[in-house]
Amino acid sequence: MKIIGREEIRIDSTLAEEVARRSGENVFLCYQCRKCASGCPSRTFMDSTPTELMRYVQLGMIDEAMKGNTAWFCVSCQTCSTRCPQDIDIAHVIDTLRIIVQEKKIKADTKNMRLFNRIWMTAIKYMGRMYEAGLVGSLNLFTGKPFKDMALGVKMIKKGKIKMIPPIRNPLATMKMFSRAKRLRK
Amino acid sequence: MKIAYYPGCSLHSTGIEYDLSTKKVCDVLGVELAEITKWICCGASPAHQCDELMSVALPAQNMVLAAQIDGVKELCAPCASCYSRLKFAQERLKDADMKKDVEQVLAAEFPEDLQILHILDVIIEKIGLDAVAEKVVQNLGGVKVACYYGCLMTRPPKVTGKQDFENPTDMESVMAALGAEPLDWNLKTFCCGASFALTQTDVVLELTRKILADAKAVEADVIAVGCPLCHANLDGRQEQINEKFDTNFTVPIMYFTELMGLAFGIKPKDLGLFKHLTEVDDFLKERALI
Repeated sequence: MKIIGREEIRIDSTLAEEVARRSGENVFLCYQCRKCASGCPSRTFMDSTPTELMRYVQLGMIDEAMKGNTAWFCVSCQTCSTRCPQDIDIAHVIDTLRIIVQEKKIKADTKNMRLFNRIWMTAIKYMGRMYEAGLVGSLNLFTGKPFKDMALGVKMIKKGKIKMIPPIRNPLATMKMFSRAKRLRK
Repeated sequence: MKIAYYPGCSLHSTGIEYDLSTKKVCDVLGVELAEITKWICCGASPAHQCDELMSVALPAQNMVLAAQIDGVKELCAPCASCYSRLKFAQERLKDADMKKDVEQVLAAEFPEDLQILHILDVIIEKIGLDAVAEKVVQNLGGVKVACYYGCLMTRPPKVTGKQDFENPTDMESVMAALGAEPLDWNLKTFCCGASFALTQTDVVLELTRKILADAKAVEADVIAVGCPLCHANLDGRQEQINEKFDTNFTVPIMYFTELMGLAFGIKPKDLGLFKHLTEVDDFLKERALI
């Protein structure tokens, strides 16, 4: 965690209010007991711990909360939300931060998750179902690692676990859902 | 008993053994699984972290379709991730504004009284362990099983309604009913990294390594799972883990429904047992189970 001089700290509740408005979660209930950080399986990969992330949101330290990789290493295992003594759904707060970053197109260390989300959601929109071969293929292509997990992929195809033909079923239904959602947001 | 069935994307691809074994086991237990014919992806990994509205609307659409099936009051989703998203949608739809928006996206009314069940819930709550034990024709005597729940079969309890979320034991009860020996171990609800396999593979290799090592430490013959993402990581990544960490894991990873199927005398091929990436043949032959 970066140590910041006292004069630099500004408490700005804009971000906390936006999180509350979107998710219904009140980050000010957090008193930094660190239970979330101690149970978090990906904490060693993160720039800061989930506890620190909550503090950044409380203090309105937008750069620290939004631009680092912490939120993007959350694997949504729900351990923090389950154990929080203040009953804050921390995983929901983290999801909300990720949504804000994507919606506002904020530059952040998203670990390719922005791309992952976009590819998968596009597949749902136009096919109705997820298409593994397409998801893995486009992910590898766009991240410049075309041969990632190649041996594993070949094995899975041989075992009949990955289908090459996209599972297009009733795509009109999902396309209509997405367009109604778009209209609703306007 | 007739229950609506939502396989989800994984059970039609990487987790095909889970689909096959679930259907076979339900057949034996007299449960009719009515698959929702026009089911769509529940949004699983991406929707909740990029689009709150769709993360609720996608699972809700499947519930609308399930409720249209004649005589159905319950919906079974064997995939822990699908199960979680369906349960989360129900929870979020308690909010009146969210419900109004989602119903507009669906252009349909949301069916509130549909009960969402994981396949393990169906077996424990709707069938019962006595009925399971009655169907056993091949006792799994002496097979040491580490039951692995991962995250979403139990967490968060506010959504799943589970009581024993830190130390669940339902799967152990089922294994005991088959004659197997469920083991006490530490990481049964630890995360495997799930869909991070595709984007942050290092996280998955590290977490999965810990789980395999813990199961090995208690001398497990097999790890039983109830989630296709857990299975894909534990079963499919052992070779990469061995390479990266200089280990020599060859731990068979089986869906708990596959073990049930074996005990019920169903042919291994019909359960999809030969589709695993970490072979289970040697283990099963050694135990005279095939």
